Amino acid sequence: MTAAGIETYTFHVNGMHCRACVLLSESELAEHPRVVSAKSSLRTRSVEIRGDFGDRPPEDIAEELSTFLSEHSLSTTVHKRQVDWDEFGVAVPIAISCAAVFVLLQEIGVVNLVSGDTVTYGMAFLVGITASLSTCMAIVGGLVLSISATFARLGDRTKPQTLFHIGRIASFLVLGGVIGLLGSAFRLNSTGTFVLSLTVALFMLALGVNLLGVFRWSNPLQPSMPRFVSKRALGTTNLTHAFTPALVGGATFFLPCGFTQAMQFYAVSTGSLVAGALTMFFFALGTLPALALLSFTSLAVRTKTKQGVFFKTAGLLVILFAVFNAVNSLAAIGVIEPVFNW
Amino acid sequence: MNSRATSILLFVIAAALVSVVALVLLARGGAKPGDTARANVSNVGESQVIEISAKGGFSPRDVTAKAGTATTLKIKTSSTFDCSSSLTIPKLGYQTNLPPSGETVVDVPPQKPGSTLTGLCSMGMYSFTIQFE
Repeated sequence: MTAAGIETYTFHVNGMHCRACVLLSESELAEHPRVVSAKSSLRTRSVEIRGDFGDRPPEDIAEELSTFLSEHSLSTTVHKRQVDWDEFGVAVPIAISCAAVFVLLQEIGVVNLVSGDTVTYGMAFLVGITASLSTCMAIVGGLVLSISATFARLGDRTKPQTLFHIGRIASFLVLGGVIGLLGSAFRLNSTGTFVLSLTVALFMLALGVNLLGVFRWSNPLQPSMPRFVSKRALGTTNLTHAFTPALVGGATFFLPCGFTQAMQFYAVSTGSLVAGALTMFFFALGTLPALALLSFTSLAVRTKTKQGVFFKTAGLLVILFAVFNAVNSLAAIGVIEPVFNW
Repeated sequence: MNSRATSILLFVIAAALVSVVALVLLARGGAKPGDTARANVSNVGESQVIEISAKGGFSPRDVTAKAGTATTLKIKTSSTFDCSSSLTIPKLGYQTNLPPSGETVVDVPPQKPGSTLTGLCSMGMYSFTIQFE
């Protein structure tokens, strides 16, 4: 190849939010045989590539380079991505429909499907399923959706989601055993519940707004490390990627969800390590199908247009859930009159 | 695919779903299937007893009771594993976990006429309101 064939191209990098992405994209792109050098910038979310691509149109090159990045799920497109308002035309009605179905589910009274006085493990499983379809969906489901969609947007599709669910189920098993053994639960008083619910609501609101892709700011889930640190420890960044979702999943044990609290209350009353652990484990297992469906929906959307619509729909739903939770938690401490009543 | 057509179609579906929900809510008229017309307020000597069942929400949701009278709330649960088992009454600073099945008694001091007492599940999605007159 002759030096004369080398040209400089500037591409926009979608989904580049963290400093680690800059380094990863640079090293990944440099592996391409025709790329001489690659220089990414987080500020402009673009990458400057020097290489010999002959007379191929930039669109073509962008597409080819994208496949190189797909492992780290950064993609290169020629034009800086504008806010695609048209996507809202699809996202808004889908979000409204989902919210309507959610309200309908509550009205039908999924909760009343559970009957029987003794809590067998099968029963705990059933309560879990009910919980995941009911009002708990607003808080736990909302959180799951916001986190999975955020990770999916950053490009990590399966691993964080899987770790979240593993962390959740493991923590229910372990902590269920702990409260069963201790015979007492760490129950929050109403102020504690309020603070926690409101914090979760605000967190979801931030993630939801971020998912809409209307405003540009760094991702709240991605702690921004100084470049020299992340350069030295690319492996560590992967570790944070792994631990954060697992920890968040585990922490859902403490989320103020009525069903979880009722199950914990029962687990405490068993006074047994094994019974407490298994009750909470089967409960968490029951919530898994619906929650997993939520977090892995992102896997089904592959094309760029569909992804844009998906993230906007997810963002809108997460914002709705966040507002719903915030209003409810204000009502629960008696600041405002109850707005929703099912 | 014409995106505008898709969008319009989706909006029509959304509107249809919302109307279904609105109809269901209207048809309910603030009452749940479990609600009965029977008076759930009974007088025992000088005090009054209000019975409320808790499962998938509270029923009845709106109760009218006498003011200036000592009141006993009887909250009944039967295989209640949802949020309504985690009851709070902010005004009384009361918070408890109701047993999955059983009856829980809450003593309410005499209330002023025109005042209300609201009980909610700890997440605030279900509630009941007692109006004192």
